Amino acid sequence: MPLWANPRVGLVVLLVLLVALFSTIRPAFLDTRLTLTPLQSDISVYLVIGLAQMSVLSLGHMNMAVGRMAATSAFAMGLVHHTLGAGLLVSLFTGLVVGAGLGALAGLIISRTGVNSFVVTLAMDFALVGLITILYTGVVDGVAFPTMPAGMEALRFDTFADYCAGEICGPRIPLVAPFALAAALLTGLLFRWSRVGREILMTGSSPRAAELSGIPTRGRVVQAHALSGLLAALAGFLLAANNGAFSAGIGDGFLLPSFLAPVLGGTLLAGGAVSVLGTVLGATLTQVIYKGLNLLQFQLDRLQLYIGLVLLAALSLDRARHVLAGRREAAP
Amino acid sequence: MLVAENLVKTFPGVRALDGATLTLQPGTVHALLGENGAGKSTLVKLLTGVYRPDGGRITLDGGELHLGGPLDAQRAGIGVVHQERNLIPAFSVAENIVLHHLPGRAGWLDRARMRAEARRCLDLLEVDLDPDTPVARLSVAQGQLVEIAKALSLDNKVLLLDEPTASLTGDEADRLYTVVRRLRDSGHAVVLVSHKLEEVFAVADTVTVLRDGRSVAEAEPLAGFTQGQIVDLMVGRAFASIELAERTVGEQAPPALRLDGVSTALGHRDVSLAVRPGEILGLYGLVGAGRSELAKAVLGLERITAGTVEVHGEPARIRNVGEALRRHRIGYVTEDRKDEGLFLEQPVTRNIAVTVWRRLARAGLVPDRRERALAETYVERLGIRVSSPRQLAGQLSGGNQQKVSLAKWLAADCDILIVDEPTVGIDVRTKAAFHELIAGLAAQGLALLLISSDLPEVVVLADRIAVMSDLRVVGELDNDHDYPRMSQQIIRLVHAETHVEGRVSAA
Repeated sequence: MPLWANPRVGLVVLLVLLVALFSTIRPAFLDTRLTLTPLQSDISVYLVIGLAQMSVLSLGHMNMAVGRMAATSAFAMGLVHHTLGAGLLVSLFTGLVVGAGLGALAGLIISRTGVNSFVVTLAMDFALVGLITILYTGVVDGVAFPTMPAGMEALRFDTFADYCAGEICGPRIPLVAPFALAAALLTGLLFRWSRVGREILMTGSSPRAAELSGIPTRGRVVQAHALSGLLAALAGFLLAANNGAFSAGIGDGFLLPSFLAPVLGGTLLAGGAVSVLGTVLGATLTQVIYKGLNLLQFQLDRLQLYIGLVLLAALSLDRARHVLAGRREAAP
Repeated sequence: MLVAENLVKTFPGVRALDGATLTLQPGTVHALLGENGAGKSTLVKLLTGVYRPDGGRITLDGGELHLGGPLDAQRAGIGVVHQERNLIPAFSVAENIVLHHLPGRAGWLDRARMRAEARRCLDLLEVDLDPDTPVARLSVAQGQLVEIAKALSLDNKVLLLDEPTASLTGDEADRLYTVVRRLRDSGHAVVLVSHKLEEVFAVADTVTVLRDGRSVAEAEPLAGFTQGQIVDLMVGRAFASIELAERTVGEQAPPALRLDGVSTALGHRDVSLAVRPGEILGLYGLVGAGRSELAKAVLGLERITAGTVEVHGEPARIRNVGEALRRHRIGYVTEDRKDEGLFLEQPVTRNIAVTVWRRLARAGLVPDRRERALAETYVERLGIRVSSPRQLAGQLSGGNQQKVSLAKWLAADCDILIVDEPTVGIDVRTKAAFHELIAGLAAQGLALLLISSDLPEVVVLADRIAVMSDLRVVGELDNDHDYPRMSQQIIRLVHAETHVEGRVSAA
């Protein structure tokens, strides 16, 4: 395959062009404190939620409840801190378990009943919307927990530059970034090299052939959805850190970006193939566009419009490139 | 008279047709023969407007035809049954049959007329199907019959049948050919593309043979050829008869796989079979006799309601293919390689290694190097033609796909292999290679259950032949490989049963 035919290359080129454009018009775009560090925090959140969606796209499934799985997990994190006084790690761990559990439940319903994942997760999303409101009203009589575990403030405001060993300080990378990076690396490892990850992809490729090749397909469906829930919980945690509170509104804006990042990066909706690197680039691209247009002082509604147009253009370009590459490949 | 002269069709990287000529007289059945990849299906698609030719011309009764799409061909009176499924699963049988000329009244569908028309076409084939059944609920063979009925519903001057009997039973094929003869006698021209030479010789009048995209015999009377000569023409060399490996069946050894009085939720009754190591048990039966379903019941995919399954003398309760493979070392090569046997969108390496990732993995991770090495071993051993082991399985030809589908079970190192219709839709040469391979596996001591509705195949390969009909085993024969005698006995067994069950009461 020629280099230009790789979907990731197109994204990189587009990214470079946009960064050049934005920084020419508004030099403040390259300001670390003002733009780049917050940008990295945002990318971290949307990368992880993209990975959450990618985990089930691998099966050709969808998770329409990513947002509410994140919100429910964030509630669980807030709750164990609020009522039991749990620390950062215990809270995080609890939230991840709740997220994975919700995902596994969705996976279990899908694999047992054979109902389409879209329908099951959409129904779950509705149920959780109600549940979250009830829970927050019942526990804190509001829409957010008043306190956060110690250390969340550091995750919100600190960068590695604030931590020095003698004279040498770290780069201006927010503390949330390594969480997202680790999630991406582990997910990549899972789908690229692990047996379980490959079996999930094969199940996505052809469920019937997978079953007849001895793959425990039901188990793989449950596992992929559990992973999706786990990553959604992590994204919820990172957003709570960025926002400074565990609140009911976490995850409200997750659904569309969760599809955008992996799909821009070349993950197929049909299942059977994923790209973690593509999801990283897809998440980065969307957030760069968002940040750039924001900096150019577009109003919010205009902003949405332009982001939509840019993404449409990016996807069409991608399709054209794909077709061209196909022709090239077929030629002698 | 339909004439296609010197047709040329190039696809990126391949010259599928390179000067093929087909002359079609009204009132004849014309066989179009050739190996896989010789260009038969491409020619059929050019004649029906699916593709446009890059060179040459097509004339109908002297006038040149420019077929811009399938509708043009339909208007010109050329009907076709393609090799691939072309039915809409959610629509009923009747809707599918009259799809291209739905009877209407003031813009509304006339359902009664639609049903009557569908009924008429199904009756031509003597098919007993409810026209209101959704196509999604039909078996492969029933779907094929509906396709043929659909082609019959238009009164076409020319009818092209591309492998129409690939999934039909002998009876169903006979009925189809009765219709074909009737069409011929009423002045229609029928083109028959088939791998089954026995059928071709029974029904066709003239023959065109394609080799590498060229016609090497053009509309010659079939009576002037023997089957051997036709095969020589197709292959382009003298046909070497296959040599099967010598083997001995472990008479003393306990059966590798034994079914004792097995009944299933699907309706199998009291099925008893046994295969010993080194033995090939042929399981012959018509489509719908319940052979594949029996295999799937053994693998735990269908529920067994009574009786026992024993593997190497031990009772076995198998719940899924994974258990069959890992605990009992049973492999199942499915008849439906496209939907059940292969991952078309995945590379050959993964298609072969999928059953053995557990073995290849180190600490849960599968190294590419080990996977590739394994795949290369089998690509070489089975002579699978690939541009690279990373090539997608969907891009391979039918024969090579079938080899990949088999390779994953060989890689899994099975003791017992259930092989379901291994050579359906595969050309003569690859078929012979498959037969050698299967006999070779038995010679290595594997126990093989060969499910097949290809009578010559069963008689050539099997040591014993069990005949299934209507979800029961109706007889078991020792095979002496004397084709005329064996085939007679087998067919008698099959038909004796159908008589008792169905026909007598009607008479």
